[in-house]
Amino acid sequence: MSGFSELIKNFEKTRDYLRDFFIYGYKVRGDFDRKSARTYDDEKRRIESWLNGCLKYETSQRGRQTSISVDSGRISENPLYKAFYAKSFTDNDIKLHFLLLDILSDFESLTLKELIEKTDERFGILFEEQTVRNKLKEYADEGIVIAERRGKTACFSLCPDRVSDYLNELPGLSDAVKFYSAAGVLGVVGDSILKAADMENDLFFIKHNYIVHTLEDSLLPEIISAIEQKRFLALRTFSSRNGFPKENENFAVPMQVSISVQTGRRYLIAFIPQYKRFNSFRLDFLRAVKPGEICPDYDRIREKYDKNIVRCFGASFGERRETGNVTPLKVTFTADENTEPHIIQRLLREKRCGKLTRVSENLYELDIDVFDPMEPMHWIKTFIGRIKKLEGGSESARRMFFSDIKRMNEMYNGDSNEHIQ
Amino acid sequence: MNIFSEIYGAYFRAAASLLARRGKPLAESDIYKAVERHGFRDSALFLPKKLLPQKDNSDWGLLRKTENGFVPITKNPPPTILSGLQKSWLKAKLSDPRFALFLDDSEIERLSEKLKDVRPLYKPEHFRFFDRFNDGDDFPSPEYRAHFRALLSAVKSHEALMIDYLSGHGNAMNAIVLPLKFEYSAKNDKFRVYCRTVSNGVLRGGITINIGRIRTLKPTGKRFTKTAADNAAMNRFFSDRRASEPVTVYVKPERNAPERFLMEFANYEKRTERDPENGSLTVDIYYDRADETELLILLLSFGAAVEILAPKYFREQAAERVKKQAELLNKEKNSGY
Repeated sequence: MSGFSELIKNFEKTRDYLRDFFIYGYKVRGDFDRKSARTYDDEKRRIESWLNGCLKYETSQRGRQTSISVDSGRISENPLYKAFYAKSFTDNDIKLHFLLLDILSDFESLTLKELIEKTDERFGILFEEQTVRNKLKEYADEGIVIAERRGKTACFSLCPDRVSDYLNELPGLSDAVKFYSAAGVLGVVGDSILKAADMENDLFFIKHNYIVHTLEDSLLPEIISAIEQKRFLALRTFSSRNGFPKENENFAVPMQVSISVQTGRRYLIAFIPQYKRFNSFRLDFLRAVKPGEICPDYDRIREKYDKNIVRCFGASFGERRETGNVTPLKVTFTADENTEPHIIQRLLREKRCGKLTRVSENLYELDIDVFDPMEPMHWIKTFIGRIKKLEGGSESARRMFFSDIKRMNEMYNGDSNEHIQ
Repeated sequence: MNIFSEIYGAYFRAAASLLARRGKPLAESDIYKAVERHGFRDSALFLPKKLLPQKDNSDWGLLRKTENGFVPITKNPPPTILSGLQKSWLKAKLSDPRFALFLDDSEIERLSEKLKDVRPLYKPEHFRFFDRFNDGDDFPSPEYRAHFRALLSAVKSHEALMIDYLSGHGNAMNAIVLPLKFEYSAKNDKFRVYCRTVSNGVLRGGITINIGRIRTLKPTGKRFTKTAADNAAMNRFFSDRRASEPVTVYVKPERNAPERFLMEFANYEKRTERDPENGSLTVDIYYDRADETELLILLLSFGAAVEILAPKYFREQAAERVKKQAELLNKEKNSGY
């Protein structure tokens, strides 16, 4: 038992394991070869303890698979939030927390010296001045304590805002917090409010819910703050494509966080001064971000970004070599206006970066003017069975589409049925 | 300001819940109950010995042993302060068009006043939801807001409502229903409400109604008990919607398809097996019958990299669409196909 703790100091390490258990549910112990076997056992045990009931174990040909298996549309609370509630701390941290809050509850404000004296008087514990000062500074940053100057002396008081007061005074607020704790950006903060009030979301279920995003939420405040302050951002990215882990450093000017609600991906779109172009970085492949200096050129870059982003179907600005070779992609769809109005509705509500024109009865043309014609192809293929013509874009995108249809036709309607069970 | 902080942590919450108890001293069992409620599965192995006074003083010293049990050493219940991070998160949510569905105008005004000096954690322009459908619900509409709030009240009071609405095909419908819970789709940007129909005062089958398609709703005065929408009832509601067997697909190791597939299907309950020889995947996907078409077109969007293996009728639907597609391109002169 000794040496093992349910709590963690560093979110980063656990994030990798949680992601692997959640996204790649097929991995067995031996697949986690980047870490020692003991690290794997400890991380797994911790995750088992946090996510009690959400883990699934199955025996495959290769060994025992551990996965986090949930239907995210049927849960009222994101189980991955638990990882945020497992930060380790010292004995002094927890003592100071409750004892300082207890003393400050009885006084309007106290100096550092007075606080130390009162803690000694009430609890018989004499804390070191530096320890208390550091804790008060930390709590002032967190908005738990208010630090003010009385002449030359700093005085400390408790922040008067109580969770219960807010929720009692504003009866609708608890419903809002329940909703936003489950849906939307940084829901874990809302969940922490519910937990503080000993409440839970008993009203809302979220469909098309990529709960794994929360693992990147720890990076968002830094990214947003850099955008807001127009700063450079140092990005440490990693990838494990082809099984080879690789880390990179990028120096970038952050523009916007781009979210796909259909594919489960989130990106940071940023300008890379070194290459003089915009690029997108998957948030789940960002190891860490670090704010840098103010970017003197920020407004000019942002203006350029605003002009460019309207030709971005998703998060790709296209390959540089394709610049000049890309013409708008033109897709002609067929849909029976009498019996299939839902297809036309789909086109209208899902189209991006383009214009839908009715060419003739039951025939609709969609012009998509984007930097990377490969990007809309995934969406276009959701209309398989209705695509009459595909023109423009890039040759490679068209070629891949036609090749896909040929292979699929062979696969489903030809002899190549070797996988049918 | 950081959400990964012990002040929001499970151990701090367990300790706070015990220090908040006044009056009767705590028994050891109370401590274990608090640990079970606020802690993790294995916390009982670690947390009680830090909360309960130990002879070697290795505990946190927050509780004192008396003749009748354990009492907090603190004088006051620990205050639950709304932190700077939590306030700035609330401030950010104030700009969301859905916020007014939950609070009335006077509540929004009072909250805005309370948070007037707080910087929002983020602004809407920091994010771009690039593939959200553009026919989302009309959240600011007074009619929509009134319907939403009436439903919210009915969900909480378990009261049946008489609802006139338009079906997905545009047909006028009406029903007496008990609204159970809300569903929000991030992709559709729409709210729906899970309901059970009521006939002769008895709960019947489950239906889902798009709030944006409701024309009128009226309270009926008929109330049900809480159990009508408890966890067991919701599990029954969900399992009734489930397709009887999963869809099995084969994901080929090409164009990074396995990674893209697993990411995109992360919101589905599934079982995945990987072939270590070539990196291909065989995946069983569990889904709701109502989402069958959505699942089918999503699988087709992966092109030849994903093959639907079973069930047979599902594979046949894919085959039919692909056949139609090949014929369309074959008919077209100079299509490049």
